[in-house]
Amino acid sequence: MATKPTRREVLSLFRSLMRTAREFTDYNIREYTKRRTVDAFRHNRKLSDPAEVAAAFADGKSQLGVAKRQAVVYSLYAPSIKSVMEM
Amino acid sequence: MASVTASSVKFSSVSCLIKQNQVSNLKKASLSFTGNGSQSRRLPVLRFRITCAAKPETVKKVVDIVRKQLALPEDRDVCGESKFSVLGADSLDTVEIVMGLEEEFGICVEEESAQSISTVQEAADLIEELLEKK
Repeated sequence: MATKPTRREVLSLFRSLMRTAREFTDYNIREYTKRRTVDAFRHNRKLSDPAEVAAAFADGKSQLGVAKRQAVVYSLYAPSIKSVMEM
Repeated sequence: MASVTASSVKFSSVSCLIKQNQVSNLKKASLSFTGNGSQSRRLPVLRFRITCAAKPETVKKVVDIVRKQLALPEDRDVCGESKFSVLGADSLDTVEIVMGLEEEFGICVEEESAQSISTVQEAADLIEELLEKK
């Protein structure tokens, strides 16, 4: 099983997720990704059991992989008009 | 007799006024050597580097972003020396603040630098440094 991730690793994962969120061309998905990572990390803040922490971290990493791939796919079909929320 | 003159080193002179009234100024320096001998001499390159504190506008923008992120009320005083932990920010908040600053100023902060930020002033200084490098 994976060992408990260090504080640095967790913050690094948080940062990577936020950075990946920035790359989305779709406003809604971008905002959702940011919101969801913040909510998830805050929700799991108080975890102390190493197994749970490791599981949450592994989950986060797989989600990061998903987000990165989706960012690439979505960028192929980027909308030409900006969303009204961005104006 | 060979006379060699170093090209004058030019700096943009920057003077910053911060609350403690420190003023740093960069001065232009020109060096000239006269020496005998036909061999060309290599000149020592002197570099002056003076770091000064960040501009007040930058600090103000940082303060605004911090205020918005931490949802601080207006009467809570946030100045250059406020530490993030004192203002009630945990490490996740700090990362979010750094992200917000990256977006606002269009810079890219590395991992190590981001981990070491603890006060508003440090953040502003780092931003200035990165803006200069661009």
